[in-house]
Amino acid sequence: MILPYWLQKMYRHAKLKQCDFKALHYVAMDLELTGLDVNKCEIVSVAWLNFDSLNISLHTAQYYLNKEVKSLAQSPIYHGIDETMLEQGDKLENIILRLAQVVEGQVLVCHNAVLDWAFIKNASNVIGVEIKPRAILDTMLIEKRRLTSTGQPIAVDSLTLPACRKRYQLPDYQTHNALVDTLATAELLLAQVSSISAGKRIKLADLM
Amino acid sequence: MTPEIAEVKQFVVKQMPFSQLPDAASYFFATHLEVIYLTQHNQHQWLRDTQLNLYLVRSGSFDLLCARGEIVMRLAEGDYFGYPSLLTGEAIKSQLRVTAPGLVYVLKAADFDFLRAEYKQFEQYFVKAHTNRLLSVHYKQIRDSWSEKKVSEVMHKGAVTLPPCASIYEAAKTMSEHSVSSVIVSDNNKLLGVVTDKDLRNRVLAKAIDPAKPLSCIMTKSPKYIFEHNRVFSALHLMLKHNIHHLPVLNEHLVPLGMLTSTDLLRQQKSDPVQLIAKIHKAQSVAQLKLLASQVPLLLKSFANNIDDMSLLGKLLSSLSDALTSRLIVLYQQRHGPAPCKFSWICFGSQAREEQTLHSDQDNGLLLFDEITDEQKRYFAGMGEFVCAHLAQCGIRTCPGNIMASNEACRGTISQWLTRFETWLHAPTPKAMLNCKIYFDMRFIDGADSLYSEFATKLTKLVKNDLFFAAMASDINTNSVPLGLFQQFKLEKDQQQHKFLDLKRRGVVIINDIVRLYALKARIYKANTQERLEALLDSQQLSKKDIYDLKDCWRFLTQLRLKTQLESEPLPENCINPECLTSLEKHQLKEAFHLIKQAQQACAFKFARGSL
Repeated sequence: MILPYWLQKMYRHAKLKQCDFKALHYVAMDLELTGLDVNKCEIVSVAWLNFDSLNISLHTAQYYLNKEVKSLAQSPIYHGIDETMLEQGDKLENIILRLAQVVEGQVLVCHNAVLDWAFIKNASNVIGVEIKPRAILDTMLIEKRRLTSTGQPIAVDSLTLPACRKRYQLPDYQTHNALVDTLATAELLLAQVSSISAGKRIKLADLM
Repeated sequence: MTPEIAEVKQFVVKQMPFSQLPDAASYFFATHLEVIYLTQHNQHQWLRDTQLNLYLVRSGSFDLLCARGEIVMRLAEGDYFGYPSLLTGEAIKSQLRVTAPGLVYVLKAADFDFLRAEYKQFEQYFVKAHTNRLLSVHYKQIRDSWSEKKVSEVMHKGAVTLPPCASIYEAAKTMSEHSVSSVIVSDNNKLLGVVTDKDLRNRVLAKAIDPAKPLSCIMTKSPKYIFEHNRVFSALHLMLKHNIHHLPVLNEHLVPLGMLTSTDLLRQQKSDPVQLIAKIHKAQSVAQLKLLASQVPLLLKSFANNIDDMSLLGKLLSSLSDALTSRLIVLYQQRHGPAPCKFSWICFGSQAREEQTLHSDQDNGLLLFDEITDEQKRYFAGMGEFVCAHLAQCGIRTCPGNIMASNEACRGTISQWLTRFETWLHAPTPKAMLNCKIYFDMRFIDGADSLYSEFATKLTKLVKNDLFFAAMASDINTNSVPLGLFQQFKLEKDQQQHKFLDLKRRGVVIINDIVRLYALKARIYKANTQERLEALLDSQQLSKKDIYDLKDCWRFLTQLRLKTQLESEPLPENCINPECLTSLEKHQLKEAFHLIKQAQQACAFKFARGSL
């Protein structure tokens, strides 16, 4: 009997959620943008980094600038990247293709995944490739759930990447670019997982 | 090319040895490392023999434990571990204990080997760190070190004794029967003297004395002795100081148990300060003395590797200086005839405190008796010049403050010296305070002991002026330990912008000053800081706890100070870069400075009524 496609998908998803956190491979990703509006703004840079439940390998770190940015407008204030720097960059299409390759079959990890994923989706649609991570984890949502479960009111700025890291006594990084934040996100996830699991087995479902 | 992650690279660049390596080395490390989040739950995955790595702590804190579960090192940000096995290829002996989980940078063995091959300094750094680690572990196994052993562990068991009425012939027979080089002369278990084979040669054969005569006429009467529970080092020190090779060992009831010989000590160690001192005492010319003195730095280095308590090096060096001085005085007398009257050669400052280092300069003087004639004075002027000039050629620098017997002001009669001290005591100017600090640390070296005792007794009576104690106490408080408000180190900078802590001026010196003050108050006539503290235990001046605290601080600082001297970092003498310390050492150092600060304040309160 052939199951209908939607049922297959649901079954696969349910099975994935039962997976051991340790059994999967992860890609942390962060973007720098010209603004927050997915319809008007552009991707300035993309950084990613492979890791698993035990270690983060820095030699897998990648960082690309998008040389096709049309208007940086006021955004260099935030990321410090100007047009001369962009000239050294790559075509967005190539960047997205590389990302698609790296993410294939892996779990994508972002801080505030909704925003990053929307931009990536958008860009990949334009060039007609599909980016297929096995799942997406959001360190911001994980943190939000943890805070909510303790019953604390959540302040506006308590879910930023530095604020979350501080709760786990992770180093306070002064530099913020896509690459540093990628590493910061990966480190945060490992600290969160260690804290949630307390040495016991942890399923992907516990993080979604 | 892998992009470097700014935050990782910036951290790596600041760490030793990368801070001294080309940027490429830091880039290599920053792009080849793996970041792990080390917790108590996953720590068993690391430090395994199957995968050797270099670890660098980025955050969190961990304890490194030895196989027996004792803490070898407290690890915090910037500390490395795992390198001993990488260097030696030996199995991993340590375990980890996580105090606070955190990030650790991991470099695989192959990448470590790459850096090692590429950068000599990188390898040297870890080889040195490894040696230091071995030393510090070794320090914990204090019982294994020969100098810390008890005399009873290394001595000849079973005293070979004879009564004083036994004949010289009997002594020779007994010695050959037991194949020993000396006998103890005792009566009813009471030590009376010692006879050695050298005595048989020099005092019997050479002088054609009848071997039927009793031992009592040739023995060394009331010899130096040591107790069975004393440390071997004390015995060594005693032998060096008095240039003797046989020490009777007694138990608590003064019953002779056996003999400790310099050969017994030599068996315990490779280098031989005893022999060097013996050679110094035999040297027939100044040239010979200089040759012997040139061996001192080398001897000191090899000796330093054999002992745990580095502060003993100060005693060793002072013994060597004493021996050189004594021998030079003898050589002077050989040239210019015996001294025309009684004199005492005395030393001040670090030599008197037995804290000498390779960089210490001369501080000495001559004490003469009051009715000295001008002609006699000229003889001693010559002696002062001769001894000081040759000491300088033997490597003991001349004193920039001219506190030397070659200076007329430092060749005084008892009353002249007393007048000098009196002036300082009654007009406590900063200059006078400085003089007091140098001259009150005073020790007899050679000449007439009686002259020195007479002077010391008179001087003790002189020191009773409360104003002087108050002035000293406030002077001590003008110097401060390098600790900030929140227990942070306050670093000094030299011209090359190296940051450092001055362990001598801001630590050891303050303790010495405090202890000197209490010792003067308690009328203790010793110059060595540890001995002064020991003697203070019997006085009411300081509590037992304070005394032990000061002793520990002093030992710790001296140890650190001599360690840096032997490693000769590119810093001013006696200074240390706290970045090079382990976090445990940093912690201990802060604790030591804190205790010194408290002692300073207590001393101001006691002597200056807190009027600062």
